[in-house]
Amino acid sequence: MHNLILASFLVLCPGLVWADTVQFIDPAHALETSATLQTLPDTNADIMIGLAQNNKAEGEETKRPAPAESDNITDEVEEEGPRIADPLAPVNKVMFHFNDKLYFWVLKPATQVYSHIIPEDFRFIFSNAYDNLKAPARVLNNLLQLRFKAAGNELIRFVFNSFAGVGGLGDAAKDALGIKKQEADFGQTLGRYGIGHGIYIVLPVLGPSSLRDTVGVVGDRLMYPLTYIDESDLTFGEAAGIAAHENVNDTSFKIGDYESFKESAIDPYISMRDAFVQHRKKEVDEAKTK
Amino acid sequence: MKKHLIKITLIICLIFPVSAFAGAALETVKANADKVLDVLRDPSLKPESAKKTKKDKIRAIAETMFDFTELSRRTLAQNWKKFSPEQQKEFVSLYRSILEDAYADKILSYTNEKIVFSKEVPLSGKTVEIQSTVYRRTTEIPIYYRAMLKDGVWGVYDVVIEGVSLINNYRTQYREILSNKPPEALLETLRKKVGRT
Repeated sequence: MHNLILASFLVLCPGLVWADTVQFIDPAHALETSATLQTLPDTNADIMIGLAQNNKAEGEETKRPAPAESDNITDEVEEEGPRIADPLAPVNKVMFHFNDKLYFWVLKPATQVYSHIIPEDFRFIFSNAYDNLKAPARVLNNLLQLRFKAAGNELIRFVFNSFAGVGGLGDAAKDALGIKKQEADFGQTLGRYGIGHGIYIVLPVLGPSSLRDTVGVVGDRLMYPLTYIDESDLTFGEAAGIAAHENVNDTSFKIGDYESFKESAIDPYISMRDAFVQHRKKEVDEAKTK
Repeated sequence: MKKHLIKITLIICLIFPVSAFAGAALETVKANADKVLDVLRDPSLKPESAKKTKKDKIRAIAETMFDFTELSRRTLAQNWKKFSPEQQKEFVSLYRSILEDAYADKILSYTNEKIVFSKEVPLSGKTVEIQSTVYRRTTEIPIYYRAMLKDGVWGVYDVVIEGVSLINNYRTQYREILSNKPPEALLETLRKKVGRT
C-alpha cells in the first residue's frame, strides 16, 4: 500500500528527471544540495523581485554596512549567499516533514531491502539505463543554453551508450570515449536567461524546489522519452513502478547522506532551503559561463 | 649585530609568505585530508570500541587543518560583534564540535571513494580555494576548501560542496535564530546540540 502511494506521488511529480542534477532534491540527498533560506521581510515585493531576477535579492544583501574596524578579524567583506523568498513556509514545512518521514519510513527501509537483494553492479546498470533516458533532456537543455559543445557531447553519449552500451546499461561513452556527462535541466535553462526562483516550494517526494524549478521539472518531463509512450503500452501503474524503482535504485547509492545532513544541521528546514538556493545558483552560473 | 638581525628578519619575512604560496595551501589541505582518511581506513581502529580514539585523532587533525576562529567569525558575519569575547569563545568551541562531527561523518561516507585534489585558485591576497573531487560510482562531487594564510599557516575557513558553502549555510541558520533572540539563546541551542548542557 505504501508503495502504491509512493508510486503515485512519483508519477504526479515527474521531476525525477532532476534527481541527478540536483542531488539534494530528494530527502536522501539533501546533504549535498541544500541552501540558505532566509525569509525575506516584505514578501510580496520580494516575490516580484525574485521573479524578475534573483540577483536582485542578493544585491540587497550586500548593501549591509561593511564590518567595522578590526576585531583581529579580516577586513574583507563577507560574501553573502543567495536568498529565496519563502512566503509558503508553513506549507513547505509540512511538506518537508512529510518528505522526511517518507524517507525514514518508506524509502530507506525499501532501499535497504533492495540493496540487500540486488548486487551493486546490477544497481549500477539500472542507474546507467535510467540516466540514459534523461540524455535527450540534457541535449536539448544544453542547446537551449547555447552550450553547443556540451550538447554535442551529450548527443554522442546518448547514441553511443544506447547502442554500444546496450540501451545505456553501461556508461560506455565515459569509459571508452572519455566523454563525461554534462548536466543540464530546464530550470537551469530558465535561470540562464535571467528568470529568478520566484518563491521556494518543497515538492512532495522531490524535495526542495522553486516556482521556476517546478516549471523546469514539467519542461524536463516533456523531454523525457517515456512521457511519449502510449498509455496502452505503458500504463500509469507501470510508469509509477518504474519511477519508484528508479528512486529506490538511486537512493541505494546515497544511503546515509540525508542522515548526516540532518545530523549536522541546527535547523534542517532552513539548512536545506539554503543548500538548494546555493546549489542551483552554482548550476545557473555554470550555464552562463561554460 | 642589530643590523644583521633586521636583515635576517626581513629575509625571513620575504621568504616565508612566498614559499607558503607555491601550492602550499593545496599540499597542506591534501596532507590533512589524507591523514583523516588514514585514520578512517585504519583497520586497528575499525572496531566499535576504538570509536573514541578515532574521533580524538580526527579532532587533532581538524585542529591543524581548520582555522575555527576565522570560520566562526565569517559564519556569524555582522552578528559576531553581538557576542561578548567569552561568548565568542564558547561559540567557536561549540560550533567546532558540530563541524567536527559533521565533517567526520561526511568524509566517513567517502572512505571508499577516490578523492583527487586538482588545483588551487587564489581568491584574494591571502585566501585561496583548493579544489578537489570525490569520485563516487554514479557521480562526482566537487569539494572546494577555502583557506587563509595566518602566521605562515594555511587554515581552512570554509568548505564548499557542490556549490554549497558551509559557512553560508550555517550563517542562514544562525541568522534566523539571532534575528529575534540574543546570542545566549543560540549558545543554548548549540549546547543542546552537542550535548553540553
